[in-house]
Amino acid sequence: MRSAVFGIIELSWWQLALALLLVFVIAAISLRERLGLERDLVIGAVRAIVQLYLVGLILAAVFSAARWYWVLMILVVMVAIATHAAVSRLGKPIPGVYWIAATALTLSTAATLTYVIGVVIEPRPWWEPQYLIPIAGMILGNSMTSAALAGDRLQSDLFARRDEVEARLALGFSGREAVQPLVRAALRAAMIPTVNGMMTVGVVQLPGMMTGQILAGASPLTAIRYQIVVVFMMAVATTLGSLGFVRLAVGRYLTPAHQLRRYLL
Amino acid sequence: MQDAIFQVQHLSLAYPARRGHRAATILDDISVDVERGSALTLVGPSGSGKSSLLRCLNRLEEPTAGVVRFCGRPIIQLDPRELRRRAALVQQAPVLFEGTVRDNLMVHAPSAALDASGSRLREALTEVGLDLALLERDAVMLSGGERQRVTIARALLRDPQVLLLDEPTSALDPPNAMLVVETICRLRDTRGLTIVAVTHTPELVRRLGGALLYLVKGRVQAYEPVHDGGVIDERLQAFLSGTHP
Repeated sequence: MRSAVFGIIELSWWQLALALLLVFVIAAISLRERLGLERDLVIGAVRAIVQLYLVGLILAAVFSAARWYWVLMILVVMVAIATHAAVSRLGKPIPGVYWIAATALTLSTAATLTYVIGVVIEPRPWWEPQYLIPIAGMILGNSMTSAALAGDRLQSDLFARRDEVEARLALGFSGREAVQPLVRAALRAAMIPTVNGMMTVGVVQLPGMMTGQILAGASPLTAIRYQIVVVFMMAVATTLGSLGFVRLAVGRYLTPAHQLRRYLL
Repeated sequence: MQDAIFQVQHLSLAYPARRGHRAATILDDISVDVERGSALTLVGPSGSGKSSLLRCLNRLEEPTAGVVRFCGRPIIQLDPRELRRRAALVQQAPVLFEGTVRDNLMVHAPSAALDASGSRLREALTEVGLDLALLERDAVMLSGGERQRVTIARALLRDPQVLLLDEPTSALDPPNAMLVVETICRLRDTRGLTIVAVTHTPELVRRLGGALLYLVKGRVQAYEPVHDGGVIDERLQAFLSGTHP
C-alpha cells in the first residue's frame, strides 16, 4: 500500500517485510560460504527491529507530550548508554572510568548542543524534541566513539611506551609532561577519521542525516545546510569527547609524585 | 655511616591484589646506606627486587613502608622532579627519543631550564667517550653501546650527584659492555659521582668497589664491602661466578 503524505512515501508493514528479505539474502550467502554468521544475523535483525520500534514509540510519546523534563530524561538515558558503550570498548579497566566517561561525554555533548541549538538552529522552544533529541544523539554518538578510540589508543601506548614515559620522568619531567606525546597520539587517532570524513563528505556517499531529509521530502539545498552544521558539530563533539576523556583518564595513571602507576597497565 | 647520600631504613614494597593478580611482596625490610662518592652494587637473581629498590631511590616507585633519605632529608619532602635530576636513572634498555643525538641530549622538561650549550653537549659526549661527530647522527642509527652512553651523557647534563644504573651492560655485547663499564668507572673518579648499580657483571662490581647488596626474593641476603676486588660471602661469590643454583 502506498500513500503520499506531504511528499513522503509511508512504508507499510508489508514493505518492511520485503526489506527483511535482504537479510535472508545475506543469510543465504553466509550459509553458502560457511561464514557461520546466520545466527548473529537473525539476532541482529530482530534486535534492530525491536530496538528501533521501541525507540520510535518512545520518541512519538515524548514528541506528543512536549515536556522539557521528558526530553532531559531521554538525554540522561542516552548519556548512560553511551558511557557504558565507550567504557566497554577499553582493553583494561581504569579505576573510576565510568565517572570519567560520563563526565567527558556529558560536558562535550552539553557544550556542543548548547551552541548548535542555542546559537545556530534556535528552535522554539529550545528543547523542541524533534531537533534536540536527534542532534544530541549524533553529538553523543561521535563523542562516544572518539572517547573510546582515544582511550584505547592511550591504554595501548601507555603499555607499549611505558619505558619512554619513565625515561622522561627520570629526566625530571612532571607526570603530565611525560605523557604528553602519548596524549597527543591518542587525540590524533580519535580525530583523524572525522577530519578525513570532512574531506570526502557528500563525494563518496551522502551522509545519513542528509539522505534522511531528502527521503523525507526536504529540498537537497535545505538538507545540505543541516548537513554542514552536522559535520562541524560532529567534528567538535569528537574533539571535545576525546580530549575530555583522555585528559581525565591519563590522570588515573599518574600519581601526585609524578609516578606512573605501572600496575594499571 | 658518616656521610651517607642515601639512607634506606626498613623499606618495604608490596603490590596489592587486583583482578587476575595476587598480592606480591617485592621488597621486605631493606636497610642500607650509600656513602657519598662511593658505590653500591645491587645483585641477585631475577625478580629479587633490585630494580624496584633502585626505583624507590629516585621515587619512581613508592615504598609501602620505611624511609628513604637523600642528603639527610626524607625524599617524600623533596620535589620528585628535583630528586630525579640529582639522582639520575639510566635504564636497562636505553630510551632514546625521535631525532638526533643532539636532540636527545637537549631533552628537558618544559618547566625546567637546562644549560645545553654546544660546549656542554660536546663535553658530555667526551666524558662518555663518544665521538663528537655523533651529535648530528639520527639516534636510531646508534649501536647499543652508543645508545647507552648517550643516555648516560643525557643524565650528566643535569649535573647529578648520583647515577642510578639499572643493568647498564646487560643488553650489550662484551666489547660494548666493557666500554660502558670504563665510562661509569671514569665518571665516578672524575666527577666524584655516587653510583648505585644493578648489575650481573663481575667486572663492574670489582671496578666500582664500595659495597655490595645481595637480594633474594626482596630480602637482604648479604651486605658487605667489596675488598680489593673480591667479596667474602660465599653465596655472593657463587652468584657472581655463575655457579649459584
